[in-house]
Amino acid sequence: MVEQNLSIPKYWRRTQQYYRLVATRCAKCGKTYFPPRRVCDCGNDALDPFELPKNGSLVTLTVLRSVSVDFEKQRPLLIGVVDLGGVKLMGQIVDCPSPTALRAGTPMEVVFRRVKEDGEHGIIYYGYKFRPVKGCES
Amino acid sequence: MSASGNPDIRMIYIASALMELTSEQLNAGNVLREYIGLKGVPTMRIENGDGSSSLAILAAVNDVKLKGGCVMVAGVEKPHEVTSTKLNKFVSFSTNSEYEAFFGVTPAAQAAIMAREYMNKYEYSYEDIAVWPLKMHERGAQNPNAYFRKAVKIKDITESELVADPLRLYDVAPYVDGSAAVILCAEPNKRDAVIQVSGAGMGVGSAYFASKQAYDALESVGPATKQALKESGMELEDVRVVNVHDTYSIIGLLSLEAMGLSKQGMAPRLMRDGEFDGGGRVAVNMDGGLKAMGFPIGASGLYQLISSAIQLKGEKPFESLNADTALVHDMVGVDQESIVIALRRGD
Ligand SMILES: [Zn+2]
Repeated sequence: MVEQNLSIPKYWRRTQQYYRLVATRCAKCGKTYFPPRRVCDCGNDALDPFELPKNGSLVTLTVLRSVSVDFEKQRPLLIGVVDLGGVKLMGQIVDCPSPTALRAGTPMEVVFRRVKEDGEHGIIYYGYKFRPVKGCES
Repeated sequence: MSASGNPDIRMIYIASALMELTSEQLNAGNVLREYIGLKGVPTMRIENGDGSSSLAILAAVNDVKLKGGCVMVAGVEKPHEVTSTKLNKFVSFSTNSEYEAFFGVTPAAQAAIMAREYMNKYEYSYEDIAVWPLKMHERGAQNPNAYFRKAVKIKDITESELVADPLRLYDVAPYVDGSAAVILCAEPNKRDAVIQVSGAGMGVGSAYFASKQAYDALESVGPATKQALKESGMELEDVRVVNVHDTYSIIGLLSLEAMGLSKQGMAPRLMRDGEFDGGGRVAVNMDGGLKAMGFPIGASGLYQLISSAIQLKGEKPFESLNADTALVHDMVGVDQESIVIALRRGD
């Protein structure tokens, strides 16, 4: 139970990001950061929470076959970079068993999914993933 | 210690990336001190992912510059204490863990994306990139210290299993258990060929892969190289031996470009044409690199440093290299940081 208490707060601390993609935006120059930053590249440290758009486009991807132990059941993983309003994120692409039709510029949307389960403690972790708006064959 | 003439050692720097995860041991320097009988010598652990041991070397260099005398740098990694998928998880902690490892992202996925983008941009086929493992295995076959001592055919590479497309099994340096140690002194204490750390530099890239400026080039290598050369009073053209951190084929190739040894987009061609062979413009990874030597994660920088010293000393199988300057490149994660160390052979 002690171990459970160690892992849950870490996860809950990030739910704003995992569930709603809350980035931070510089109040001075407007640059947006995800993962959120405390200080902007311009030097300003006044940044406001800013929810990223939930639609964007694919930049690039790979099919990861040699996965971490937590993802063995989901193997292989489609891992891609997606551009959401000029901010690039790396994560899983889902609902696409055969990614051959996906290319740079393919419209993508954010979906909220189960990420993994902690087998020992029975915790299920959720977070953002991406899927092609028009489906895998588009 | 006896190889270095048993100098008085006043400090042990010990590098490891995964020790607490794989071996359930913290502050291992104390265990090492007692094991090798260095009474009263304090220790410091250094962890910075797979760049740990080069950072330990930097710390040691600064220490002897400041205080003189001799210090020991040791690196140790035991990845085979755990299963391969568990190891994948531990290694993925070297990404921005809450935003990358959490979602299943690993360094292999990041390197694969770099390979894909590079191949697209410069119109290379996978066979072009496969020149790296082909050459590394060739070199490994000549090196009695290599983990893989067998040359391979291009077909073995192109038909090996996909790890993260386009990267295949042969593009990935194999994780190995390993340890290594060097002794660094302010002054030479033996008369035979002494290798001097003549300069060192560091550069940084992005902690979050997606926010990199470009996916087809490395950002951290250039500044580290420039700084090491400057500190060493060398020009790139003076460098005869280079060892790069080829955890993945693409990282080896892109490191050569970022160091300035190849124009962007040209490294696979130059490699194929023999520019980086022994007797070429500059001898690159003549020991077979991490690809053939094995990749002991947080000890890998020391592996490459020691191998570079052996190459400069012209020890077997490097008798014909006849080189007196080397650059050793190490990297933290995929382009988060690079460390470049310049070496010179004294007389
Ligand atoms: Zn700003």
